[in-house]
Amino acid sequence: MHKALRSLLVASALLAAAGLAPAARAQAPKTLTIAQGFDPQTLWPNGTTASDNLNAGGAIVESLLWTNPATGKNEGLLAEKWEQTSPTTMKLTLRGNVSFSNGEPMNADAVVHSFRVFMDPKQAPAYANYAAALDKVEKIDDLTVAVHTKHPYPPFELMLTQVYVTPPDYWAKIGLEAFGQKPVGTGPFKLTEWVKDNRLVMERNSAYWGKGPSGIDRIIWRPVPDDTSRVAGFVTGEYDLATNIPISAIEEINNQPDRKVVETPSYRIFQLIQSSLEEHGSPLADKRVRQALNYAIDKKAIIDNLFAGRAFALNGQLLRKEQLGFDPSLKDYPYDPEKAKALLRDAGFANGFEIVFKFPSGRYAQDREVSEAIAGMLAKVGVRAKMTSLEPGEFLRQLRARELWPLAYLGLAPLDDPDFQLAQYRSTWRYSYIRNAALDELIDAGAKEVDRDKRAAIYRKAAQLMHDEAPVVFLFGGYDFYGVSNKLEGIVPRGDQRFFLQNVSLKP
Amino acid sequence: MGAYIARRLLLTIPVLVGILVITFLLTRLSGDPTDLMLPPNATDEAREAFRIVHGLDQPLWTQFVRFAGNAVVGDFGASLRFGQPAMTLVLERLPATAELAAATMALALLLGIPAGVVAAVWRGTSTDVSIRLVTLLGQAVPSFFLGVVAIIVFAVWLRWLPTGGRGSLGQLVLPAATLAFNLVALIARVTRSCMLDVLKQDYVRTARAKGVSETKVVWLHALRNAFIPVLTVIGLQVGLLLGGVVVTETIFSWPGVGRLAIQAIYARDFPVVQAVVFVFAVIFVAVNLIVDLLYAVLDPRISYR
Repeated sequence: MHKALRSLLVASALLAAAGLAPAARAQAPKTLTIAQGFDPQTLWPNGTTASDNLNAGGAIVESLLWTNPATGKNEGLLAEKWEQTSPTTMKLTLRGNVSFSNGEPMNADAVVHSFRVFMDPKQAPAYANYAAALDKVEKIDDLTVAVHTKHPYPPFELMLTQVYVTPPDYWAKIGLEAFGQKPVGTGPFKLTEWVKDNRLVMERNSAYWGKGPSGIDRIIWRPVPDDTSRVAGFVTGEYDLATNIPISAIEEINNQPDRKVVETPSYRIFQLIQSSLEEHGSPLADKRVRQALNYAIDKKAIIDNLFAGRAFALNGQLLRKEQLGFDPSLKDYPYDPEKAKALLRDAGFANGFEIVFKFPSGRYAQDREVSEAIAGMLAKVGVRAKMTSLEPGEFLRQLRARELWPLAYLGLAPLDDPDFQLAQYRSTWRYSYIRNAALDELIDAGAKEVDRDKRAAIYRKAAQLMHDEAPVVFLFGGYDFYGVSNKLEGIVPRGDQRFFLQNVSLKP
Repeated sequence: MGAYIARRLLLTIPVLVGILVITFLLTRLSGDPTDLMLPPNATDEAREAFRIVHGLDQPLWTQFVRFAGNAVVGDFGASLRFGQPAMTLVLERLPATAELAAATMALALLLGIPAGVVAAVWRGTSTDVSIRLVTLLGQAVPSFFLGVVAIIVFAVWLRWLPTGGRGSLGQLVLPAATLAFNLVALIARVTRSCMLDVLKQDYVRTARAKGVSETKVVWLHALRNAFIPVLTVIGLQVGLLLGGVVVTETIFSWPGVGRLAIQAIYARDFPVVQAVVFVFAVIFVAVNLIVDLLYAVLDPRISYR
């Protein structure tokens, strides 16, 4: 209730502001002010996977490669060249004449040191998923490093985008925790002031090896947890860039003369878990019931009414259009309640059934509203959902403990490789709610296949199998919204809520 | 007096110990922080390593013994999210919260007491009725709502003040005013009713009969006596103020302890939650001790032995 009231208030305020707005408050000419939800806990990017940390930390500490959201390609950053010399070895040629801002040279020793930290689950637990594939890393000469994996590893490049390079001497002197508070890197900016939960100030690194962003001498990062307040500060010109704009504020921001909203398709894929595990013993063990629920949900109505059209259809699969293995021949299950009822009848549920439906409250945008709409649609085909709302922390616990069954609303945002997406449905996976030997085989094959075309074919086969088996109800993909001042050009956020300052420019 | 203070301080020890035990148990009841700290698809090895590093793999009583042993010397352990000592994180943010609370209290007293006195002296008049109406409203409006309205009116429409943050006086105004709003109302209401009681007393009639000016009677003789219950209310309100800080700091991006607390609770950052609750408890106990001592200052008939 009070959320709705708030949105209404914001909306009316912004409408009024659009009418009377004077020029935005003047700021020091070359300062970029960014409002995110939270203050970083650490500026060492391998310390967490939280985007608020990575966005800020990534301006100081750089990775070997980066995935440019504008091209979708992996491009060199501290590694200039990378070539596969054997199925399990990648030879990296590092960029020459690059120094950390404390004067230490960025070279093979620094990279080997950074890998060593990256591969230690005690120091970088959030990245152990990638590190698990790594065998060893060795220095060949001052600017060449060989990276060995335990087996052929298709997301090799993606892994290299996750390894951030730190200066070994400084690291040894100060330690992991302190490094996160006073980071030293090769990036376009240096940390100058950090008042916790208030402002994080970075100055331009005049010795930066690359071009870097233009027109920005200083960045101020402001943590603003409250949506209303972040939108208000963006509208009044206190911030040039604001993350996580609520849908209710989009139209009003777009009505401002000097501001706009940038929309980015998110990596987060929304679905209904339909557990078919025997031990869970629900009607969903029957494939016809799982398909029936796919026919029973009107995805388009949810996208249009609850997200004002700002969500994308999944085409009856879990991989996004941009991903390797997306199958263009698959389409969404159409909305067909009659067909759903017929399938339920065939499965012996002519009178429907009652089922527990779990959903988080406050984890995803409008999670409660979406779940209520779904329950309403299910009721129309005779499936009576007993709605159980869960606090986000408890929701995650149940997900991992495989307790989120029989039916649950879930949004998963795995790393951008088909294996990370599909491995979540392998029967041995901690929170897989399907047990299917054929699917397991395809997942294993895809995880090791380095030939792109063969790999894509494997994932298309897996997509067809999953479409038919329907371990989930395929719902929709979400969008992330950023408020961007017209002065700021070239900002292209990525679906994992990362944005990069490499190619941006700030006009006075 | 010294013995009294010593006795009161000794009594706070079981209170604080009790609070530590309760917070320890309640936080553990809420679930495993590993689920929130690592991404959903983290490997089992990484989860196990995280639990070992933070001692979460130990049985509950072992965890408690370790926690209690360290807490005695002021070490509340390292935050799971920040990796830094939890107490340092709290103390780092305490000045911001203290600044906000002090400004709020000053504002509440400066507005609430005169309003209460005026309403009592002119009881039944339209001034009294309007003060009572405003204070009723003040107590009824929740601060999250008031905060949002304040941002929209004063920051977005009028552009008089910034929307949040800390550093300038302008940034202090809206959060302090929002927090003070309920408090002004409460203080005004209590002051009014106490003043009404006191103004009927014999010594007030005596003072008037002696020819003491009405201003002196009201603002010196009567107010001083009426102030004791007001002080009690203020002491108790510190608890509510600390609670209000949690909401207000979040709305106005004020970098204080309240905001740290809410984030720590959502993330199940046990050490930080424990440190915040402990610090808040110490403040609450200390303020109420000071209030008790102030009684003696205001009223010479009260003395502590």
